[in-house]
Amino acid sequence: MSQGTREKGRPIPSSAFAALLYVIMFVIYLLNSPSAITLAGITDLLNNTIVLALASAGLTLVILTAELDLSSVGVIAVTNVIVATVSTKFPGGAFISLVLVCLVGLLVGLINGWLVTFLGLQSLACTLGTMIVCQGIALLILEAPGGEVAAFIMNRLTDTLFGFMPVAGLILLLVITGWLLFRRTRLGIAIYAVGTDAVAARLTGLNVKRTKWIVFSLAGMAYGLAGYMLGAQTGTGDPRISNSFLLYVFAAVAIGGTSLGGGRGGVIGSVVGAGILTVMQKLLFAVGVAEFYTNIFNGVIMVVAILFGNLSAILSLRQRVITPRYRDRQFVPH
Amino acid sequence: MNDTGTRSLVSFATLKPETLTALLVLLAATLMMLVMKVLNPAFGSVQQIAAILTTSIFLVVASYGQGLVILLGGIDLSIGVVMSIAGMMIAGLTNGSNEALTWALPVTLASCVAIGLLNGLGVAFLKIPPFIMTLAVGTAFFGVALGVTAGSSQRTVAPALQVLMSARIGGIPIPTVLIGCFLVAGSLLQSHTTEGRKLYAIGSSMAAARVVGLPIEALTIAAYGVSGLCAGISGLLLAGYSSSATLDMGDPFLMPTIAAVVIGGACVTGGRGLYFGTFAGAIFLSALSTIITVLSLSQGWRNIIQGGIIIIALIVQSKQWYLLSIVNRRLPGKRSLYGVLPQNSES
Repeated sequence: MSQGTREKGRPIPSSAFAALLYVIMFVIYLLNSPSAITLAGITDLLNNTIVLALASAGLTLVILTAELDLSSVGVIAVTNVIVATVSTKFPGGAFISLVLVCLVGLLVGLINGWLVTFLGLQSLACTLGTMIVCQGIALLILEAPGGEVAAFIMNRLTDTLFGFMPVAGLILLLVITGWLLFRRTRLGIAIYAVGTDAVAARLTGLNVKRTKWIVFSLAGMAYGLAGYMLGAQTGTGDPRISNSFLLYVFAAVAIGGTSLGGGRGGVIGSVVGAGILTVMQKLLFAVGVAEFYTNIFNGVIMVVAILFGNLSAILSLRQRVITPRYRDRQFVPH
Repeated sequence: MNDTGTRSLVSFATLKPETLTALLVLLAATLMMLVMKVLNPAFGSVQQIAAILTTSIFLVVASYGQGLVILLGGIDLSIGVVMSIAGMMIAGLTNGSNEALTWALPVTLASCVAIGLLNGLGVAFLKIPPFIMTLAVGTAFFGVALGVTAGSSQRTVAPALQVLMSARIGGIPIPTVLIGCFLVAGSLLQSHTTEGRKLYAIGSSMAAARVVGLPIEALTIAAYGVSGLCAGISGLLLAGYSSSATLDMGDPFLMPTIAAVVIGGACVTGGRGLYFGTFAGAIFLSALSTIITVLSLSQGWRNIIQGGIIIIALIVQSKQWYLLSIVNRRLPGKRSLYGVLPQNSES
């Protein structure tokens, strides 16, 4: 995928392997609960996927630039409680809270980006700080799980549109189309360049700092939307979204074939990765296995998916694509 | 004057930059406690300081492994789970009897090392990103522990471990003594052995280390093994301190281990950092969380202060060279405070 490093042939995108894995898991799920193929079943599945998918889509942008962002759970917690407290207070609260969550996400993203680019802090550590602060703010807004999400958000966003299109599916389609258009833009290409080799990107005249700053802000907004959709799904606000969700977000990105070292991967893979994790939860639930098996399967599936991704990387290498080694960002002469 | 350790004590002018970072962090922790003392005179008794040191041992020990792994450019996200497993195992195996400790202790620690080695194998041979490998192993073993124990251990930890965490030698609490020993041993292992220096080499440039012919795979596996061991020891001590164990008792320590390493001046992409720095970071974070607990604030405000101070600490830590250069310019003569300025990792 990395632009400009391709010599001949198109590498197989690692998201293709994730998609294959998704199809396999979905078929197994289908065999165990045939109702999954109905419109209601698919809507339900997509509703369960969307929060993780939005959050991991945002994180993907950051990871592509070779930075990390832990603030997702913090932003989701804040925006979730905002939806649960604001959306029923005013007429048109659904819209007001939507604008509000986007602004909050944007604000946190801007702060993260500022800390990373202009103060030169290590992203892993300083986003850990913003995550903790955001969780604190969420607790100030809503001390305990509760609140109420406007019925409009709860009913419409989890339902189908025109009788056949699940709203969650529509949002996912929008995200994917948006990404396909975005990655062709100057900024989209710059993200890959910065992630592959920040020094080379700077020497070719790209504004590395600005690129990273924008990416953190976009990611923050994506987390905000994820918090909004979480509110739509649960109908209440919960300031204590667990840290294990954060690990799922990272797992979804990695399963989707995005290299945690930056520069390789994409949003589509992460959305599929989120889908894989969700289908697996539902599958294990449908089969009726105990919770501890779920955890073991989660761990195994992560490793298997990465091995799948590595396989794709090896196949891509065979097509003479120079990919930077993990965490070993040497200057690659083009 | 030929040894770096003694030289840094002898002359401030040739202090290693990383040591200076660590000293600054310790100074910040002390300042924080002094400010607290001014605000609230009841705070800051000897017992309270001792309590801070006692509770910091968990983070001090666990973040050593995290530091080694981060030095290699990796990360260990299974530390929280391993800590819990160690606590659950020691409680389950000893069930309140000291006799069982003789075999339960090695069995527990060996299991923790095995989990660490598994992490290392995946990272070194399967080339799975450390973030995912350790996360997957942590998740999977949490499942195993959940299946075996069904949540919480009803058994009590061997009294000897509880005594270890509460007794005193010559008026000094044993955990404080242990922290001192651990600091010395850890620093020696990391910075004054050839194997330790090789970790720095690998973390600085994997490609160069490969060309030189360093045993990258073996050292990677060993580092993750040590991380598992440290998490295990930390879990044992935690179980001894709280005299019982639960499956989620290690979770709150995972993120602080990373924060401690970074506040201590290490670079998450590897190749830079001292254990003394990590140690200082761990003490800082423990003091911070104790102080925040003493303040009678709601959980929300506690989080905001804690997160805010972590960010401020990071900012100060990354800008210390700028701040110190102002001091440096005022020093007489042309002597530099430190030999070589570290290069800014950000472009």
